[in-house]
Amino acid sequence: MKLPFFRSPDGREGGTTAEPTADANRRDETVLPQGEAASEESFTPTVTAPKAPVGPTKIAARDISVFYGEKQALHGISLDIPDKTVTAFIGPSGCGKSTFLRCINRMNDTIQGAKVTGQILMDGQDVNARSVDPVLLRAQVGMVFQKPNPFPKTIYENVAYGPRIHGLTNSKAEMDGIVEASLKRAGLWDEVADRLHTAGTGLSGGQQQRLVIARAIAVNPEVILMDEPCSALDPIATAKIEELIDELRERYCIVIVTHSMAQAARVSQRTAFFHLGRLVEHGDTEEIFTNPRERRTLDYITGRFG
Amino acid sequence: MTDATVDPGAVRAARADALQKGLKRRYAREARFRTYGLLAIAVALGFLVLLLGRIIEQGHTAFYANQITVPVYMDPARIDRDYPQGTNFQLMVAQQRLAAMGVTDDAQGTQANAYRTLLSSELKFRAAQLVREDPSVIGQTVQITAPVSDDADLYLKGKIKRSEPAELRRISDQQMDWLDALKRDGTVTTGFNSLLFTQGDSTEPELAGVLGAVVGSALMLLVTALIAIPLGVGAAVYLEEFARKGRITDLIEVNINNLAAVPSIVYGLLGLALFINVAHLPRSSPLVGGLVLALMALPTIIIATRSSLKAVPPSIREAALAMGASKTQTVFHHVLPLAMPGVMTGTIISMAHALGETAPLLLIGMVSFVPGIPGAITEPAGALPSLVYIWENASELAFHERTAAAILVLLAFMIVMNAAAILLRRRFERRW
Repeated sequence: MKLPFFRSPDGREGGTTAEPTADANRRDETVLPQGEAASEESFTPTVTAPKAPVGPTKIAARDISVFYGEKQALHGISLDIPDKTVTAFIGPSGCGKSTFLRCINRMNDTIQGAKVTGQILMDGQDVNARSVDPVLLRAQVGMVFQKPNPFPKTIYENVAYGPRIHGLTNSKAEMDGIVEASLKRAGLWDEVADRLHTAGTGLSGGQQQRLVIARAIAVNPEVILMDEPCSALDPIATAKIEELIDELRERYCIVIVTHSMAQAARVSQRTAFFHLGRLVEHGDTEEIFTNPRERRTLDYITGRFG
Repeated sequence: MTDATVDPGAVRAARADALQKGLKRRYAREARFRTYGLLAIAVALGFLVLLLGRIIEQGHTAFYANQITVPVYMDPARIDRDYPQGTNFQLMVAQQRLAAMGVTDDAQGTQANAYRTLLSSELKFRAAQLVREDPSVIGQTVQITAPVSDDADLYLKGKIKRSEPAELRRISDQQMDWLDALKRDGTVTTGFNSLLFTQGDSTEPELAGVLGAVVGSALMLLVTALIAIPLGVGAAVYLEEFARKGRITDLIEVNINNLAAVPSIVYGLLGLALFINVAHLPRSSPLVGGLVLALMALPTIIIATRSSLKAVPPSIREAALAMGASKTQTVFHHVLPLAMPGVMTGTIISMAHALGETAPLLLIGMVSFVPGIPGAITEPAGALPSLVYIWENASELAFHERTAAAILVLLAFMIVMNAAAILLRRRFERRW
């Protein structure tokens, strides 16, 4: 049985099993003595993400702050995101991880009153520079949203839209090829090959999300941003998407925002923990989950708050 | 353990009782509300049936008319070969008919004149036309078919009764006898009133038709649609999707909402001052009418378009933008097509409204007598609602049934227009 003593301040259950060495005093400390977390390992999700060599830095953020009108949403974030790697952003709701994600493809530009300061260098080029057209940037940086949002058009048209507006193809055959390749890479081809010209919105939630991923990779981007891509999906669809993310890692730089600690542990090689608009800690996923340096990180990943 | 004195069973029963009572009240309230709803619908339907029933009852007789087919001896003594329309064919026919019946007329020709008023001037036009086309008919006897006069028509339709006092009706007993005889021997037949749909307005009811007004209304709506739809949708798209929200857009929005509530006669005055007095566009023309109605329809279209654009889920905008679509591509590829059904609904409503609008037409001269059928948007024309207004004010009794008929035509016009727009909207909804 669980005692109230073991509940986190917001009333949620602390862990799935009893906490052996609960010590209230320790909560005030912010920096953990190294090795301390080992004793609490039992609450943290086991890191099962395939270990992979972390690629060279693809995106380097330097001192990024975001203001929505008067309100500051992000405070001086500096973070390197490596190529050919899955980087997970974790943190409680409203901590700024999605805001930071949207800085990378300048989606914050579309929000009136949003202001971004600092630099984001992609392959050494500042994405906020005047010379960078957000339209071209977004052709390089694909994005997948929380809720599957296929266009209310056919499956074919959904995937073909990107290549079409960017003028990537010259013929119908070429377009067919891109559509097929993208759907195959998104693991959706076998399920929709015989109904390419039916509505994309008629697919199941998980299929829609894979369709959206196919749509994103159809323009052959370098980076794929995923904003909680599985939060609206059931566990089976989630598993499929996660599998897909792992496959895509070999070709793209993937950044995924997730609320599920377990998901971060399953798919990512690198993890960054955000809290209250600040980047608390980042590093190898295994390191973050087994041996975090910060008290807050440990509390969050063990489910004591969030 | 003092609580043990309370019987838990009794507590439960009291609770169930209270719940039961509450439930009864709730169901009663629900039933009452449903009854009000049904009552409201029944009342509305009742009025609709009353309105339509009254119009149909009054107007259905205008859709058929009596016409007379008579042999006419083209008397060479009375017809001028070069000016056939100068001949009083009606009188000529009346005299020939009376002679055939063996009636001897007095010196003033009272009987012939009485007989003549049973025939419409259309008889004269048709006879003159025959002579013009082929002068060799002069001296021969030809069969001519023409409508009977409006009063004769009303008598034959039973709208003027013999039982009415003779001095109050426009047809004498003698004329009634003639008509009855003509009807009996098949000289006068009842048929579809095709003139109603092929003629413009006329001072003679039996020759008046709605075609001029239908064409006038159609041309006017064409002008309205061509101006108001692109302008309104464009303005709404800009305001909703592109303009920076601020004090100026707020001011514009408030003004648009107010303009939607401005009485239509004010738009008529504006049109009179602007389009006729300043721009010197032709008065009474569908062009000016269409421009005024376009001004009137704009706020409605803008408001409807904006609200349907607002209803498009932001996720679609984000999806398109994240794909690298430009703002314009996002709007025109995704947002506007999704908003299209709503836009069409707003447009249908405003166009239907424009079709039925009369007040602004009063001021720009479209409520004047315009015979004939307009051929261009700059020619003088009438419109259906103004035709209803003119006919309702006419003194001839026969115009009254035609007023109701014109209302029915107006309703049919509106139904056809709305049906077309709804079909179009369906296509938009289905298009993937």
